[in-house]
Amino acid sequence: MLWYKAWLETRSRFLTCLAVLTAFCVLFIHHAQGFLRPEWKTDFYRLLFIAQEYVVIVWILSVVLLGMGGLVREKATGMSSLTLSLPVSRAHLLGVRIAVGILEAISLGVVPWVTIFLVSYAGGMPVLLRQVAFYAFLLVAGGLVYFAMAVLVSSLVEGEYTAPAVAFGLVFLAAILFDAWLRRFNLWRLVTGDYYVDKKTFLLLGHFPWLGTLTSLSVAGLMLLASVKVIQEREF
Amino acid sequence: MTNTLVILTRDLTKSYGSVAAVRGLNLSVEPNRITAFLGQNGAGKSTTIKMLLGMIQPSCGEGTVLGKRITDAEENCEMRRKVAYVAENKPLYSYMTVEQTVGFASSFYSDWRTDVASKLLNEYKLPRERKVKSLSKGMRTKLALLLAFARRPELLILDEPSEGLDPVGIEHLLQMLVTQAAEGVSIFFSSHQIAEVERVADHVCILDDGRLLMNASLDHLRQSYRRIDLVFSIPAPEWEFRMTGVEKIRTNGYEMSVFASMNADAVVERARDLNVVSVEVAPVGLRDVFLETVKEN
Repeated sequence: MLWYKAWLETRSRFLTCLAVLTAFCVLFIHHAQGFLRPEWKTDFYRLLFIAQEYVVIVWILSVVLLGMGGLVREKATGMSSLTLSLPVSRAHLLGVRIAVGILEAISLGVVPWVTIFLVSYAGGMPVLLRQVAFYAFLLVAGGLVYFAMAVLVSSLVEGEYTAPAVAFGLVFLAAILFDAWLRRFNLWRLVTGDYYVDKKTFLLLGHFPWLGTLTSLSVAGLMLLASVKVIQEREF
Repeated sequence: MTNTLVILTRDLTKSYGSVAAVRGLNLSVEPNRITAFLGQNGAGKSTTIKMLLGMIQPSCGEGTVLGKRITDAEENCEMRRKVAYVAENKPLYSYMTVEQTVGFASSFYSDWRTDVASKLLNEYKLPRERKVKSLSKGMRTKLALLLAFARRPELLILDEPSEGLDPVGIEHLLQMLVTQAAEGVSIFFSSHQIAEVERVADHVCILDDGRLLMNASLDHLRQSYRRIDLVFSIPAPEWEFRMTGVEKIRTNGYEMSVFASMNADAVVERARDLNVVSVEVAPVGLRDVFLETVKEN
């Protein structure tokens, strides 16, 4: 039933984000021809690359929102005593919330790209399944670190609105700092696929960026472990 | 039925910086009774309960609930299977409906009684499909109590259970407490409502400023505590009454009022030796015991 609780807690946020992302993808592809410029030779794949950049923005904001909540927010709203009186360990409580959040984040990454694939196919502009899978996988595997950061912030920062404000602030700060000084490690460029697509064909260049993705996943894992530790030690 | 102490603490202390919320608490709660935990606002009642349930860690000292150490996360988790708890603010998930809340809670406990839950849902007139956030304060309190009463735990811990209830709800709550106790459930509840405590409790613990000032049975209080009003023909000789059991003496000219926790007969005898003009001995209610104990502290 903890799964059910986590689902009920995030349901409206998740469905809203999913609707926004899906609607954006449908509209974007449906009006694709309007965006195309005559000088583009690889029209549609360039368009997909642009779509990925927009999807990434909305996806990151969505997973940060999904990462909010849990025991610390419940403490701020006076609900934590009920959760903590359940015969369940704190690690288990947080683990279920993280698992539900990850499933929702995966859905938010996969559904828009499946939508793009289907709408493109229906519109007579079929795209390579490999390319769609590349964007969706890169988005989820590379971007989960944003979700993990949100979970960590929501475990550390109290206050119903303070935690989201801090988390969104960190997302923007990281984007600016990495782009200015650590461009090579810029997560944004990893997730959008900026480094890994051929800028002429806008198709995946060479191998999938496993190293960057695994590094990002490892950092996400460490952040989630840190969140569990924080919650175990915290007083309610 | 269990015979070991359901709650036992030794020098339990909780400090926030330089402020001590609970100071060296040595609490023992016997099984199969209703124990009331009295204290003013900020006395440390809720902090103590939170420490017992593992929500906050003691700064020092130790304790057990149903024989499980409160500072051990695993033992504490095991203990919570056998303990039903209703917190002071009656926390519930605002995004769930009444039915979802009941279904959610029932899934965690093997001692859940579906028939009792259904009966209480009807008695409390709780609308099953309505979201918790749209319930009145009284209804929320009833739902929080239902989640505890629908179980058959070994220990029921309630923090200010009657807060937010109307007189009918309070009456029902008190009856439920008595019924649960009769079924062998040990009950430990904090309250400000002394009249309610006096009606149902077997045992009273008084906490003030983080210290346990009293841990006694209500029968003992009723039998031993007396207020003795004396009138003398001379200015009241207060120093003559400083003896064992005399907790407080108030003098006003020729009149004197002695508050005694025991030895009332000795006080009367001493007064007679001093040619007292008038003696009046009256039993003392829990309210007076509480106020005098707390004032004294």
